[in-house]
Amino acid sequence: MAAEHGHEGNFLEVVHHDLNIYHLPKHWDLGEFMGYPIQLNADTIFFTWVAMAVCLLLGWVAVRGANIRRPTKMQCLFEMLLGFLGDLIKQSMDPKKGAGLFSIVVTFFLFLSVMNVMGVVPTYVKPTADIQTTFAFALITMTLIYAWGIKYKGAKMFKHYITPIPILAIIEDIAKGITLAFRLFGNMKGKEIMILALLGLITGWGWLAGGFLASTIWLLFCIFISLIQAFVFTMLTIAFVGSAVGDDH
Amino acid sequence: MVALDFNATVFMQMFHFLLMLIVLRLVAYRPLMNIIEQRQAYIAGEIEQAESQKVQAAELKAEMDAGLQKARDEAKAIVDRAVKASEEQAQKILEEARADAQKVKEDALADIQREKEKAVAQLRNEVASLAVLVASKVVKDGLTIDEQHNLVQDAIKEVGQLPC
Repeated sequence: MAAEHGHEGNFLEVVHHDLNIYHLPKHWDLGEFMGYPIQLNADTIFFTWVAMAVCLLLGWVAVRGANIRRPTKMQCLFEMLLGFLGDLIKQSMDPKKGAGLFSIVVTFFLFLSVMNVMGVVPTYVKPTADIQTTFAFALITMTLIYAWGIKYKGAKMFKHYITPIPILAIIEDIAKGITLAFRLFGNMKGKEIMILALLGLITGWGWLAGGFLASTIWLLFCIFISLIQAFVFTMLTIAFVGSAVGDDH
Repeated sequence: MVALDFNATVFMQMFHFLLMLIVLRLVAYRPLMNIIEQRQAYIAGEIEQAESQKVQAAELKAEMDAGLQKARDEAKAIVDRAVKASEEQAQKILEEARADAQKVKEDALADIQREKEKAVAQLRNEVASLAVLVASKVVKDGLTIDEQHNLVQDAIKEVGQLPC
């Protein structure tokens, strides 16, 4: 079992290595800080920059030539997105409390969508298939929950840590962050492994039935999963913050 | 296969997110939200304007209807008055005509009566003179009493038979 596992890992690493046409190293070492080495995952960071560029491009296209009477196509898409997420926030919490959350939520959805969908482009690596990225985002969500909770409820925010059952709520809050990070990471990593595995099958005789066709269908499905996962992450962020500022508990 | 060791990438990604948040907020969300708000304000203004215009139109229509009704009433009154006047006039003309005809008839009858009386008087005169003439002839020839009597009787009969 262990040997098989190792073999599979090697197989995927070979495909991964073959697709790394940008010759990115595994890590970028940025020296040391207080004795600890500062390392960055090169492909994650690099493709995050690509995603940022794509987001900025989308935003620029949406705003360019935007007007009141005849919205451009990208403007329509962005207005729909803004309206949809704005409505979600309004449904989950008092609009006054949700106002500051709006840009953050939209950025979550846009950034995550772009990063997730990027994985379907051959040779691209999605930053969200790296636990570091999803963990970073989950940390931001946790920060939001506490920031909003303390801002609107103050010390009462921590009351349910003690009553009715001590500790349980603390575990629950930690679990919120960890599940957020791992849900996205697991979906995206699984997707990536599937893509790599199917690409690896495109050799030899059975390439049409075994690799190419399945790969194409899987890539299409990946777009769907990517958007769904971006939405789930966004939706959960809204829901968690909404329950943190809500008066119902 | 899937390594779960954390390094500085976590912080780098958080920084990336914050950077995107700030930049996209400035570049995309602000202008788009402004446009959405402007459009909402524009539409709200248009709806308000349309509503006020609708109210104005209803007022105008009521005014027009009232004017029209008034005009109709006036026209009806005028027509009624005209009909009544013409009927009266017709009646008057008819009565006048009738009176005229009556007068003409009466005049004619009076004329006839007068002429008749005149004719009778003239006839009487002639009969008398004729009688005198006859009498003178008879007297000249000498009449018997019987003959005289007959003559007188005849003369009276003749006179009675005259058409008058």
